[in-house]
Amino acid sequence: MIEIDVFRRPDGIAVVVPQGRLNMVAARQMKELLAILVGEGSSRIVVDLERTTFLDSSGLGALIGGLKSARQAGGDLRIARPTPEVLTVFQLTNMDKVLRPRDDVESAFDV
Amino acid sequence: MSEAHLERVLPTTPDALDLAHEQLEELWAADPGVSPTDRMRFELAVIEILGNIVEHAWRADEGHPSARRLSLELILTRDRLEAVLGDNGIPASIDLSAATMPDEDAESGRGLALTLAAVDALDYARDGGRNVWRIRCDRSTG
Repeated sequence: MIEIDVFRRPDGIAVVVPQGRLNMVAARQMKELLAILVGEGSSRIVVDLERTTFLDSSGLGALIGGLKSARQAGGDLRIARPTPEVLTVFQLTNMDKVLRPRDDVESAFDV
Repeated sequence: MSEAHLERVLPTTPDALDLAHEQLEELWAADPGVSPTDRMRFELAVIEILGNIVEHAWRADEGHPSARRLSLELILTRDRLEAVLGDNGIPASIDLSAATMPDEDAESGRGLALTLAAVDALDYARDGGRNVWRIRCDRSTG
């Protein structure tokens, strides 16, 4: 089971906070949510993974899909605060270079 | 240090994933000494293979859903973690030796390569009308 919170910062950046396991079932929700955000014009997105306890290849695919559509819309998707478990999945798939995890949510779009 | 053996029959739908996560939690409860890294790579492999089975083992238009069978066996010993996933779906058309990471912008196709990277052994066999997947992770010492 997963709960995904979304809030918008005053600077227009959307912060997405998946809480729980981002597996095949949750990945579908995540994918739809990211598509809706980009469709609504929120193409600058930070995914805060501090409370994501598990990530599999489907969850990773949803993040990559979101990254692609955000960039196509002129924005970007950035990952912040992955747990060691989630970071390991990024490393095993060599996606840590593409998704480049940031240390915090606030400054995820600074550099 | 203890040993555990948990076997469950799971639904053949994506609901199986959450039940498998729960079954894994029961396994960890049997031995709190399993390292976080070993838990993570074993859990990842079990969920990847299970996700693969519920997505691909049965064709929607073939056979009656009530005839579908899926089981998950988890074994914890002093030196290893093992899982056996059995299903009566169609034979998996899989070449484990050819599983590689796709391009970095691909949104799918990483499951098997990721599983292979996470575990010490992954085997697939077709046995008496069933697909049998075996996962093994050797426990880290210290």
